[in-house]
Amino acid sequence: MFKWEKLGRIFIPQDVPDREWLKEFAQAPATLVFDDFVRVYFSCRPSPDENGQYVSYSSYVDFDRHDLTKTVNIAHAPILELGGVGTFDEFGTYPVSVIRRGADVMAYYGGWTRCESIPFTVSIGVAVSHDDGATFTKLGDGPLLTCDINDPFVLSGPKVRIFGGKWYLWYVAGTKWQRYEGRSEAVYKIRMATSNDGLNWVRSGENIIEDKLEIDECQASPDVFFYENRYHMFFCYKHSLNFRKNDRGYRIGYAVSDDLENWVRDDSKVGIDISDQGWDGQSIAYPHVFEVDGQTYMLYLGNEVGRYGFGLARLESYTN
Amino acid sequence: MWNFDFYKTNNMKWIKLGQIFDPTEHTLPNGCFGFAQSPQTLVFDDFVRVYFSTRARDDNGKYLSHVAFVDFDKKFQKIIKISDKVVIPLGDLGCFDEHGIFPFNVVRSERRILAYTTGWNRRASVSTDASIGLAISDDNGLTFKKVGAGPVLSASLHEPFLVGDAFVRIFGDTYHMWYIHGTRWVTHTVGEPPDRIYKIAHATSADGISWQKEGRQIIGDRLNDEECQALPTVIQIANRYHMFFCYRQSSDFRKNRSRSYRIGYAFSDDLVNWTRDDANVGIDVSEEGWDSDMQCYPHAFEMDGEIYLMYNGNEFGRFGFGLAKLEK
Repeated sequence: MFKWEKLGRIFIPQDVPDREWLKEFAQAPATLVFDDFVRVYFSCRPSPDENGQYVSYSSYVDFDRHDLTKTVNIAHAPILELGGVGTFDEFGTYPVSVIRRGADVMAYYGGWTRCESIPFTVSIGVAVSHDDGATFTKLGDGPLLTCDINDPFVLSGPKVRIFGGKWYLWYVAGTKWQRYEGRSEAVYKIRMATSNDGLNWVRSGENIIEDKLEIDECQASPDVFFYENRYHMFFCYKHSLNFRKNDRGYRIGYAVSDDLENWVRDDSKVGIDISDQGWDGQSIAYPHVFEVDGQTYMLYLGNEVGRYGFGLARLESYTN
Repeated sequence: MWNFDFYKTNNMKWIKLGQIFDPTEHTLPNGCFGFAQSPQTLVFDDFVRVYFSTRARDDNGKYLSHVAFVDFDKKFQKIIKISDKVVIPLGDLGCFDEHGIFPFNVVRSERRILAYTTGWNRRASVSTDASIGLAISDDNGLTFKKVGAGPVLSASLHEPFLVGDAFVRIFGDTYHMWYIHGTRWVTHTVGEPPDRIYKIAHATSADGISWQKEGRQIIGDRLNDEECQALPTVIQIANRYHMFFCYRQSSDFRKNRSRSYRIGYAFSDDLVNWTRDDANVGIDVSEEGWDSDMQCYPHAFEMDGEIYLMYNGNEFGRFGFGLAKLEK
């Protein structure tokens, strides 16, 4: 059983001046810890175009390592450019997962393009940074991972970790598209891949977290960390249809594993829920758990999947 | 195996037998009304089946490509049957093959027939994208069932889009796939949709499902670096491998006869190194008639000791396909 103490919203995109690419949303926070600060990568959007369509960028904000509610620096540019015409990431780079690899920092990200019969599709790209995560260069114009026999649709939400020298990728795989009230809506589930080098991946092609709400439950943000000798996954889940701006939107779920293969879902142990009111009073999503200076924290999004920023919670207690 | 020693493959010459199928003269399944593109054969004891892609229009008037087949007697004198059922369905909403399957390459593997499909789906900023799927027939090629809703070969770091035109042959214990992938979308005329550029590549597999890309362009450009190369077909004659494909300029290629598809040729003795030698292709557009403006989507095959080339003519096969026979 986890118990999280909410420390409040720590980043509000609407409050950031002078950045045309950062007007709304601060989604999918992911951390990289430095000596004096904690860098939080997130994905954001400029104002929508004349058709109301968004593109998304990824960038970062640095917080004081000794006071994680205090912003010390905000990046002046996105960490990745959008892809060229016809490429998988022409219209968005969201979300991003970062990990150190020797002196480099690797970024795995969801690349978005637009389609005709469905609004978008997503594939996973990879980029490398040689300057401590300030700027990244894509390893190719194409995706690292895209649809295959078992993952026929959206492939998104990468979260990369290394345990025992082995690379693990938890990702989100679309399992179908359905038409509802004139829209095409995706159903997606959490899946896993493994690698020896972070570049060549073997996917199992199977859902690893059982459904709770409905067979078409959507699952995202599979964030795994090792704590007290067990592997813990926080993720978010929602209904597949009619989930916008109501109580059918995201909540944070929880699963535990001793071997990284078999996961037992037990949302009763998650220890965090929506607030009675305020910025996270309707939904909470995209958890990211990290440890710094002996303390465990969770970053997460509030209402409308991070449209108004992200907040921080501190692990108050844990009982196995 | 036939003995092909009597072919002089260093100086090929194809004898044109003319147009053998015009889709506008037949009733086609799926409400299709024209086009018989990329003919590809499956030879039976007493007939030859030719799969091709034909077209219907959807509710918005846009094209959908469907697979159909026509069975000929082995002299190509008579049409025995035209498919009247769905050979393979298009994909569901959001699938890689939702808006078309074209081309459709068949290969026998033990008692089954494998089909490598190129599935098309429409995009917003560019017209389309493609990936390669796999389907299997257990009823002698009448119908095919997909191994999954997704593709077996798709985009990767250095092959960013438009993966298609698979042609698979089994040599020894290895499945070889020749295919194409896009390299760039280029805007040649402001205000016009971008044009795509694609090149021929190669992959191998031990099981026909899991593929390893070789990761390089295997056929050199002849026109310029924007040359578009498509639909490789490979045939072994004696101890040499021969590849036919089609190539064109990247822009103004639909109506302009001097920039449209022609058939190109390359040969290899080891399936690794290919020498392009278009001078020896042995076939070219006609002075007039159904294949006078372009020739494209070649398919080489052997049958009863003869080697044939099937191909499309004008307007990318809107009016069907023709046949040529290799001179001995």
